[in-house]
Amino acid sequence: MAKIDFRLNGVPVSIETQLNRRLLDVLHEDFDLIGIKEGCGEGECGACAVLFDHEIINSCSVPIANCANKDIVTIEGFSNTSRYKILKDAFEEEGAVQCGFCTPGMMIAAESLLNKNPKPTTEEIKIGLSGNLCRCTGYNMIIKAIQRAAKVGEGKW
Amino acid sequence: MVKQILPKNLSEVLELISKEKYRFCAGGTDMLIQNHNLKTLPIDFKDNIIYTFNLEELKGITEDEDFITIGASESLESILENKITPQILKDTILQMASPAIRHSGTIGGNIGNASPAGDLLVPLYLLNAIVQLQSLKGIRSVLLSDFITHVRRIDLRDDEIITKIIISKINFDKHQFVKVGPRLSDAISKLSFLGAVSFHEDKVIDLRFSFGAVNITVVRRPEIEAQYIYKTKEELKNSVDELLEKYSEYIRPIDDQRSNKEYRKTVALNLLRNFIEEL
Amino acid sequence: MKDIRESILKTDGDEKISGQAKYVADIRMANMQHAITKRSTIACGEIKNISYPELPEGYFIVDHRDVPGLNVVKIIFDDMPVFTEKAITYLHEPILLVVGPNKEKVKEIVNNIQIEYIEKEATFEWKNSAVQYHFDKGLGKSIFENADKIIEYDYETGYQEQAYIEPQGFIGYLEGKDKVTLIGSIQCPYYVKNAVIQVLNATEENVRVIQPSVGGAFGGKEEFPSLMACQLACAVKKVKKPIQLIYEREEDMLVTTKRHPARIRFSAALNKEREILGFKIYCAIDAGANIGLSGVVLSRALIAGTGAYTIDNLDCSGDVFITNTVPNGAFRGFGAPQMYFAVEMFMEHIALDLGIDSLAFRRKYLAKQNDLTSTSGTFRDPIIMNEMIEKGMEISDYKKKRIEYSKEKSTKGIGMSFFFHGCGFTGSGEATHIKAKVRLKKDKDNTVYILVAAVDMGQGIRTTLRKVVAQILEIPIDNVIFDFPDTDKVPDSGPTVASRTMMIVGGLIGRAAKEMKKRWTETEFIVEKIYEQPEYIKYNDETFRGDAYPAYSWGVNIVEVDVNPVTYQPKILNTWSVYDIGKSIDDRIVLGQADGGLTQGIAYGYLEVMNHVKGVIKQKNMTDYIIPTAMDTGNMETVIYENPYAFGPYGAKGVGELTLVGGAPAVVYAIEQAINKRIHKIPATPEYILEMMNDGKNRL
Repeated sequence: MAKIDFRLNGVPVSIETQLNRRLLDVLHEDFDLIGIKEGCGEGECGACAVLFDHEIINSCSVPIANCANKDIVTIEGFSNTSRYKILKDAFEEEGAVQCGFCTPGMMIAAESLLNKNPKPTTEEIKIGLSGNLCRCTGYNMIIKAIQRAAKVGEGKW
Repeated sequence: MVKQILPKNLSEVLELISKEKYRFCAGGTDMLIQNHNLKTLPIDFKDNIIYTFNLEELKGITEDEDFITIGASESLESILENKITPQILKDTILQMASPAIRHSGTIGGNIGNASPAGDLLVPLYLLNAIVQLQSLKGIRSVLLSDFITHVRRIDLRDDEIITKIIISKINFDKHQFVKVGPRLSDAISKLSFLGAVSFHEDKVIDLRFSFGAVNITVVRRPEIEAQYIYKTKEELKNSVDELLEKYSEYIRPIDDQRSNKEYRKTVALNLLRNFIEEL
Repeated sequence: MKDIRESILKTDGDEKISGQAKYVADIRMANMQHAITKRSTIACGEIKNISYPELPEGYFIVDHRDVPGLNVVKIIFDDMPVFTEKAITYLHEPILLVVGPNKEKVKEIVNNIQIEYIEKEATFEWKNSAVQYHFDKGLGKSIFENADKIIEYDYETGYQEQAYIEPQGFIGYLEGKDKVTLIGSIQCPYYVKNAVIQVLNATEENVRVIQPSVGGAFGGKEEFPSLMACQLACAVKKVKKPIQLIYEREEDMLVTTKRHPARIRFSAALNKEREILGFKIYCAIDAGANIGLSGVVLSRALIAGTGAYTIDNLDCSGDVFITNTVPNGAFRGFGAPQMYFAVEMFMEHIALDLGIDSLAFRRKYLAKQNDLTSTSGTFRDPIIMNEMIEKGMEISDYKKKRIEYSKEKSTKGIGMSFFFHGCGFTGSGEATHIKAKVRLKKDKDNTVYILVAAVDMGQGIRTTLRKVVAQILEIPIDNVIFDFPDTDKVPDSGPTVASRTMMIVGGLIGRAAKEMKKRWTETEFIVEKIYEQPEYIKYNDETFRGDAYPAYSWGVNIVEVDVNPVTYQPKILNTWSVYDIGKSIDDRIVLGQADGGLTQGIAYGYLEVMNHVKGVIKQKNMTDYIIPTAMDTGNMETVIYENPYAFGPYGAKGVGELTLVGGAPAVVYAIEQAINKRIHKIPATPEYILEMMNDGKNRL
């Protein structure tokens, strides 16, 4: 057991835990953050994506040991922001949500992408989403949603 | 119970490994999957573990006149985004994995993992990368191609840790990295190819090829490359069949769940031919 | 009033985007126990002996001895045991559950159970036929006696994994003393309930099934969840505590049902004028270790045997083969994707052999209104395929590209597939087996409740059904409630399968709403509707004669590819689709189905590889089983045509499956043109393309 301090959704937290637990399990089980989904458990699907020092990572592939003093933001934390609202509206208006299991991860991927590149081309959006699998939508409407968000939210990113 | 250490600094690590055997977990992208447990349960590590991702001494990307030095725990993304990273390395990283994996996967982890399908190894072999290893006894530098001895086997003593990767600063007139995966992104390679060439007054002055996932480790044959130095571009193009034949011997892929050996071999040689023909 | 097709925001968008929608793994209960399945390590044989480690207090083994009722899962053909007693018929067959409070300990117990087997030689050849079907149309095979020329080709299709992003899972607990409640990632609450009743020998009141949010299904959560639910129900009865049985991705991929691999032989009898006189069609599918619903899959495949074409004389037959491999089952399209690939390629290959323009040839045989179907029923409604094809060619610039890409140096190709999908259950299933029942309830405060067992697994039924009711009643959609189905609260409106939900369930709900509107002044009441087959629909399940479906949706898919000449990798550039779905209930939702279905269908044709070696599935995780990422999709454009069906709500027909079934032939047509070789097998991977480049028959 060890003590790990980090920021979670803007709040400093501290837990006593085994270092070899996945960040995914710590967030989902200990903090009851259900917006993090486990789809594949091996870093392929992106359903468990969170922001780790503002960049997207798969929480299933990160040991909690690596999170000491890091800034972790999950969909729950992100959903308090104005950028979330822009993305959420765009996802709804473009029909980017079907079963919803990949959606929080897609939102994190979109935020991570726009954070670095506020005016992405279609190809850049595709690259930005390339680690997030969706089996329902064929991605078309998710890509359109991000294009819409980039336009509506110009200056926000 | 295995021991798990979250070290404060490198000297703590060197102390620990001088006394007892540990394995290292850097970004965790491979280690967590290789030792995956049932979901919600802690990772099922079989050996003592030291977590090295956040060690300050293993971070940093610096340059001097001739070399670029990359800390072993630098993530692929930070290497990609650093302006001193050679384009040839950036081109490879751009085609590797997904943004999320690039943010947590590290260069040291990739080398330590020594997967025959590790894309990053392909440009590192081509750039004659040197792996710097540290122990209480001192620093040892090994050529990457010597450091990786077999599939997932490396020349790392129990009291050593990979600290830095050093590559020469070099630009080629033309280089091309091609990752052939089962889909266009986010997938383990079926094979990969990197070719690089420089000319001086129409004569070849530098020519290098490396191939991933077609043998137990990356295929690089400097002795073949050397045979074409000082040839003209035309002569090089005319000897493409001969060149393919020479490499053919070393392209010895396997059948697996991702592809088969016929495909891997044919496409590896096609890529080599295509690179030469398009010069 | 607004046209119903005008899109509205989905009613569950907010909860899903914010991550607050609860899927089964997100549900917490006090004192939750964990169950892990112990599975066979051989593909064929018998259990000789099982030795158990000593169980700590609070840990349980649940096996066939704990099944109070019948040890068989009610599917369609009931031949799958809940827990095998002795016989092992496939690798990873479930033998028992270990249940306990600490998952690590449960895992350790599972690992320490030693099972001795008497191993027998497993069968992987397709030789043990469990179901045989045969039917004729017109003169049947005797037409071949008059043939001037006979053309015959074989086609082969592989496995496809549903690859829903949420793995399968259930939570079960006891309510009171006897009642077992199950919450699971499912498509068919009443399939699960009825299966559990039979296994527990329970009364209706003592089994309850509830649906949480479902993270994708695509047929994969049609019948398989019944097996898990039956096992878990027995465990809940024994352990008397809440239990979680949620699969890891790898377990899910190794043991759950997949699309049936198929081998299909087509023969055409042609006359001197190079016209088709008749077809002989033979289709074999691999069921895996159990029949389950494979017979129904085969029948849908055979009925789709002539594709979108009318062929006057047919001899159709098929076998369901049993092998010692993981059982196969439902997957969006249900037998049709295999057959559409084969028939579309066959039509093309006939035209190539005859040296005639294949598009003109195919269009000549397109089905028209009042033509006889493959089962000698009638296409009663108008068929507007010609208009749809013209539209597709116009928006894709098809003719020009087709000519341009036939130049020798071109690495590109463009292909177009024609297809239909029979909406709802095959044959008399809807009328005789399902007998869907729906209720609409009006409350004192004018709130209206939709009471049906239809599951929203992403296709948007929680939005579209509410929309239908709100529009008919002319009330705000917020006044229409559609909660997650709970079998204690909703009647059996049938499973969420076969593209039937909007057409059948929505049709009934629409009729109930119309009645409710007439009685709107009454304060509190319920309207109930039960499915009645339109009288003109007659079908004989034994002879395969009559109207196999009440209605048909139609489609055209066009796919443009570029095949890399160095690596043989196809890249999807653009896709265009034109669909006749009767009436769109919400354009954006339909377009979402169209994008997603086509992406799965195209990937089935060229990308998704799954195979087994001696019963061992080689692609057992999302790293090795490759589904498309955003990078693998092209630009998509879809046009929806209206052609209302009298019994669907506002004229709506089926959508979900239609959008998948034409993808594979369209992409393969395009790849054939790009590489100038003929393709007889999907997926057309780069490895297969290389093989064709070396040894394959030239297309032209």
